[in-house]
Amino acid sequence: MTMPNHLASVQQEYFQAVKVGRLMRFGGLLLFLSFAVWTIYHLNIPIERMLGIFGRVGHMFFERMMPPDMDYALQPGILYRVLETIEMTFLGAFAGTVIAIFVAWFAAWNVTPNKSLLYPLGRGILVLARSVPVLIWGMLLVAILGFGPMAGVIALTLLTISFAGKLMSEQVEAIDMGPVEAMRATGAGPTKVFIFGVIPQVKPAWIGIAIYNWDSMFRASTILGFVGAGGLGIYLRMNIQELEYENAMGVITLIIGLVIISEVTSHYLRGHFYQE
Amino acid sequence: MAEIAQNYSSHGNPLRERRVLTKRYCRYALAATLLSAMAYHIFVVETDWARMGGIGDILSTTAEFLPNLAFFPVIVAPLFETLLIAFWGTALASVIAMPVAYLAARNVTPYFPITYPLGRTIIVLSRSVHELIFALIFVSALGLGPLPGIIALGCRSIGFLAKTTSEAIENVDRRPIEAMEATGTNPVSVFLFGIFPQIYPIVVGNVIFQLDINLRRASILGMVGAGGIGYVFSEQMQAYNWNNAGTVVLGIAIMVIVGEFISNRVRTRLISGVGGDRIGAE
Repeated sequence: MTMPNHLASVQQEYFQAVKVGRLMRFGGLLLFLSFAVWTIYHLNIPIERMLGIFGRVGHMFFERMMPPDMDYALQPGILYRVLETIEMTFLGAFAGTVIAIFVAWFAAWNVTPNKSLLYPLGRGILVLARSVPVLIWGMLLVAILGFGPMAGVIALTLLTISFAGKLMSEQVEAIDMGPVEAMRATGAGPTKVFIFGVIPQVKPAWIGIAIYNWDSMFRASTILGFVGAGGLGIYLRMNIQELEYENAMGVITLIIGLVIISEVTSHYLRGHFYQE
Repeated sequence: MAEIAQNYSSHGNPLRERRVLTKRYCRYALAATLLSAMAYHIFVVETDWARMGGIGDILSTTAEFLPNLAFFPVIVAPLFETLLIAFWGTALASVIAMPVAYLAARNVTPYFPITYPLGRTIIVLSRSVHELIFALIFVSALGLGPLPGIIALGCRSIGFLAKTTSEAIENVDRRPIEAMEATGTNPVSVFLFGIFPQIYPIVVGNVIFQLDINLRRASILGMVGAGGIGYVFSEQMQAYNWNNAGTVVLGIAIMVIVGEFISNRVRTRLISGVGGDRIGAE
């Protein structure tokens, strides 16, 4: 059985199109790969010495950084900075979460109190706070406010607003609009709708986000001291600059241990609150 | 009736017993006390208010950070370098994360008692060590330049990519895999042709998301000498060229916002609805 003429031409056109598509994709891939190879030369990466890096990193790590000097890392001065780190985390995460509640409310399209003014404001705060890394916030605030944990607390507050605020407003945008519409139909204003229609729906998710955010902030605050914004990161910088790698590894080990403890605690607490 | 009425709280909510309320208020009071003690320690004991000056001083210092647009052409090349570091770091991490995800997925891990904890340990370590610490270690071993930055970003990103990928592997449809195993396919082929096609869209979405996050991370690596825009920033800060530092912040912000916008567009176009585990990326 032979194919009618017009169908055969359609088939040919189809095969042609497939061929062109394949060629285009192949060409695109080739272009991309050559760009990738060019970037390696652009970055001046010594390809020919690539095989040696395992040896060099291994030597650095096992000869000069091991064993971590835990006696140094557990001295009272550093433990005091650990306390300061924990306090910075609590204050920054608390203040940030309180502000993030309002920002999340403003930046959620479905329940925002004012679509022309407060919605862009909330979105803008989220985007602006997200767009600058927290260490750069830390450096700017240290330059403006001086060394010390206050700059760190404000940097953590900004990070919490951007991080928790975004997740929280996503939760608000995903709520069931039924109760909200029922309340609006009875004449409730945006504030009442938010308090009695939105918060009961998002509360468990928000508690989870707040706890998770606390644990992320702890991770960030251990490093903020590196730019002088309070906490135990300052010892990291001191020891690296003095080439005291064993002490630095002690501090790093302490940081890793604390971060893992905070992660486990946050995981446990989130499970605890979700069960209720 | 009177007994029941006695148990009601004075707040007019008969469902809450007084005891429960008292316990709750005690908790609130405890939290408030702890928070104010911390605030006292941080803001009063540890803060040098005299150095800060009044509101006017703070505002005038802030105004010195207004971007100096004449400096903008200088930072274009470092911004491009930051982009490349983020790209290669993500590429490195996505190559290494696949075997790690294979080890850390409960249903496919080759030998559970050894390989599963190994995979999980790599994930936890990678996720809990800050990129700056990785960068410090690699800069001290390999010298200045973008290479330690790329490797540091790679080490930092393995955790997220391997974690989300191993979760995707744990949620795959078992039936194609069982069919392949029944015909005697070897485990590598099962992974390539039974599992990988199922997790592919999730992995691509997460890699793009990670690239977007890494753009942000790469912009600070230069502070410790690992290449990119961060070096220019700390240089300008140390020289008290605060207008130029403001320009760098503006450049980073523009790059990050554009990157996030493109990443969101690409992810929604490539794989509608699969966003991956957004929590846990930061």
